[in-house]
Amino acid sequence: MNKKQRMFIRMVLASLVRRRSRMIVALLAIVVGATILSGLGMIYYDVPRQMSSQFRSYGANIIFTPSGDESISDRELKSGISFISQEELEGYTPYRYENSQIHNIPVTLAGIDFGSVLKTSPYWHINGSMPSGDGETLVGAKMAESLGLSVGDSVSVINSFQMTADTDRTNIPDYEITKDPETGEEYCDHSLDLKVSGILETGGSEEEYIYVTMKDISYLTLTERGYDIVEVSVASMQDTLKSYTEKISSGVSEISAKLVKRVTASESTVLTKLESLVFIVTLVVLALTMICVATTMMAVIAERRKEIGLRKALGALNSSIIMEFMCEGLVLGAVGGILGSVLGYYFADLVSMNVFSSSITFRPLLIPITIIASVLVTGLACLIPIKSAVDVDPALVLKGE
Amino acid sequence: MRQWKKLLMIGLTVALGASIATAMLNVMLDVGDKINEELKTYGSNITVLPQSEAVMNKLYDVENGEEKNEYIKESQLGELLTIFWANNITDFAPLTDTEVSFGGKNVKLVGSWFDHHLEFVKKGTTYQRDTGIINLRSWWDIKDGKWLDEQKLDSANYAMIGAELAKEQNIKAGDTITVNSEKGSQTLKVTGIFESGDDEDQCIYTPLGVAQKLTGSDGMFKKAEVSAITSPDDELAVKAAKNPSLLSGDEYDLWYCTAYVSSICFQIQEAIPEASASAVRQIADSEGKILEKTQLLMSLITLMSLIGATLGISNLVTSGVMERSQELALLKAVGATNGQVTGLILTEIIATAIVGAGAGYFMGYAFAQIIGQTVFSSSIEMSGMVAFIVIVLIIAVTLVGSIPAIRMLLRLRPSEVLHGGH
Repeated sequence: MNKKQRMFIRMVLASLVRRRSRMIVALLAIVVGATILSGLGMIYYDVPRQMSSQFRSYGANIIFTPSGDESISDRELKSGISFISQEELEGYTPYRYENSQIHNIPVTLAGIDFGSVLKTSPYWHINGSMPSGDGETLVGAKMAESLGLSVGDSVSVINSFQMTADTDRTNIPDYEITKDPETGEEYCDHSLDLKVSGILETGGSEEEYIYVTMKDISYLTLTERGYDIVEVSVASMQDTLKSYTEKISSGVSEISAKLVKRVTASESTVLTKLESLVFIVTLVVLALTMICVATTMMAVIAERRKEIGLRKALGALNSSIIMEFMCEGLVLGAVGGILGSVLGYYFADLVSMNVFSSSITFRPLLIPITIIASVLVTGLACLIPIKSAVDVDPALVLKGE
Repeated sequence: MRQWKKLLMIGLTVALGASIATAMLNVMLDVGDKINEELKTYGSNITVLPQSEAVMNKLYDVENGEEKNEYIKESQLGELLTIFWANNITDFAPLTDTEVSFGGKNVKLVGSWFDHHLEFVKKGTTYQRDTGIINLRSWWDIKDGKWLDEQKLDSANYAMIGAELAKEQNIKAGDTITVNSEKGSQTLKVTGIFESGDDEDQCIYTPLGVAQKLTGSDGMFKKAEVSAITSPDDELAVKAAKNPSLLSGDEYDLWYCTAYVSSICFQIQEAIPEASASAVRQIADSEGKILEKTQLLMSLITLMSLIGATLGISNLVTSGVMERSQELALLKAVGATNGQVTGLILTEIIATAIVGAGAGYFMGYAFAQIIGQTVFSSSIEMSGMVAFIVIVLIIAVTLVGSIPAIRMLLRLRPSEVLHGGH
């Protein structure tokens, strides 16, 4: 028994090694098939994740608004954000809006963090440069046009109000206060001098605001308060986003979190299409490739009809011939599958780096799937020609018919 | 001819490879347009405003206590159908918004086209288009009732209401509401409640006529949204966006005849001189980015399957030729020259390859259509270039595939082969 087994292994190995050129042809076919299977498989699984972060160029997909009349405090914002997984969170930008005046024209100021705003609004086009800190401003294009402002200009924003006993006077220079000689009431024209660093172009309503830092807006209004709105950008699908908004709204009672439907609904429509595109393409290419592998295997085996005939003539059993040939096929399938899954990973990674500039997620599950699929396809492809060869009369085969 | 089984196998593999190449190349070339159409669900990417409608106007007028907004003529909007890239404009709608008092508070009312049938006659040609915000607000969820169907309803006195406002005022589809403005009041029947997920949930949408009456601006509108299929911006587009007149003649022609968002805006301004058209950066930029990524992804997948297909074919050709060593050795033994044997083999294989490639092209056509129909519910446009590429590719691949086999053939010693050694 032991001897027989050893002989069997020897025959299989010898056949693989001696007929090197044919076996390389067969192996190459299997490796190509397996590479395509594992490569496309990995790309298919990674497309939603990779594309989802591309879709973040549409900007925020969740917004926080205060649920009551109070604005959102820093602490509330932090605890709201903590519900979102760090990996998925692309960024968030709080906004604080205040009305004010420039040259007696009412304007709306928006306090933002210039460092993080491009995370949630990557589509902002800035002529000039992004303000680097306090005392600098970004002016919406429409506002700049109507006020006649351009990059490098200085502008002063005035906040006029009537002084009361409660007014905190520490930050107000004396010359800003005027006293009505008749009534004795005091008025203040509190001003903030700003340098225009950039003009903002978006083609949307953002062009109607003047953006300053949170510190400047607090200085101008003489009040510290929280945020009116927070834009949050999360790289995730609609269902996950929905569960985030529910968790946040119920977890932090001061915040009402909402989906930006225009962005989320459209994204899920387009992503679903993209996903099914890659899926169908993968399916078609795979099916065709597998048939290609099968035909090559069939050709390689069919060529050995003479050998099969000779063995039969020497008295080999049909079953032992089938066993031996199948074993050869399976070894080829397994080796091809292993090589293919490794090559496929590198290929998928190459595609991912080129398209999305980020590496692909390795899916260990695809390795056994690729190996099993290549073994199955090779096995099936071998079985058909062997069967037909075995059924033929050895004399006919050997004669060359 | 005896070898027909072998040749059939080679032909089949060639056909499969050719069909992969055909299907993938066609899908790749068309995927940009298809994805672009899908991206239209994000809404308009171009805004058209009156030339001098700027914040200053609004601000000064509010100061003076009278609102004097500027408008564009509704009849002018048909000009959009006459521009060079008119076929790339998928939808557009005029919008007029105004404050009305309703239910004891001030509410924003927006008049627009819903599914307007537009007919525009210019120089004897009639342009027709069904367009409106039904397609420009594809993310709206109709909570109650249905979309306002302009073409089916007898009069214009209908409205759709945002979900938050409807909830606040306890309004359902089918109810009648009354809105008041300085110019008069209107009684409207609510056809549906929509949820948009933004501040439009606090708005009333009506046909344009209603808003025109409420603002006293018959035949006019304040703003138009345009949704157009555009090409991603490149260097030329960036240069042109700054100032088209700085381009050289050739560059200008190329820019004008490419569907950049900036050239479409420029053409809209040419067609409607009192309007200024600008790109909505949020939509236009993102579209460009996503298109670029998708196309790149598809071309790399295509490349991968092409490599797979060509390897498969050349592989089979190699093994097909090798296994005929005996027959070919016999030919050499009876006096055939190397050139004759090679010629015979090549003719046979190339004939098979051409037949296979032809069959494969049609199979690939079918696969491309299956992909188009299942994914995008529309057919994939077949490019003539692909047929050419596929034929050249297949012939090249079969030739390359035969090289190792032919080299081996030339080294064959008839006596050895016929004797039975390998």
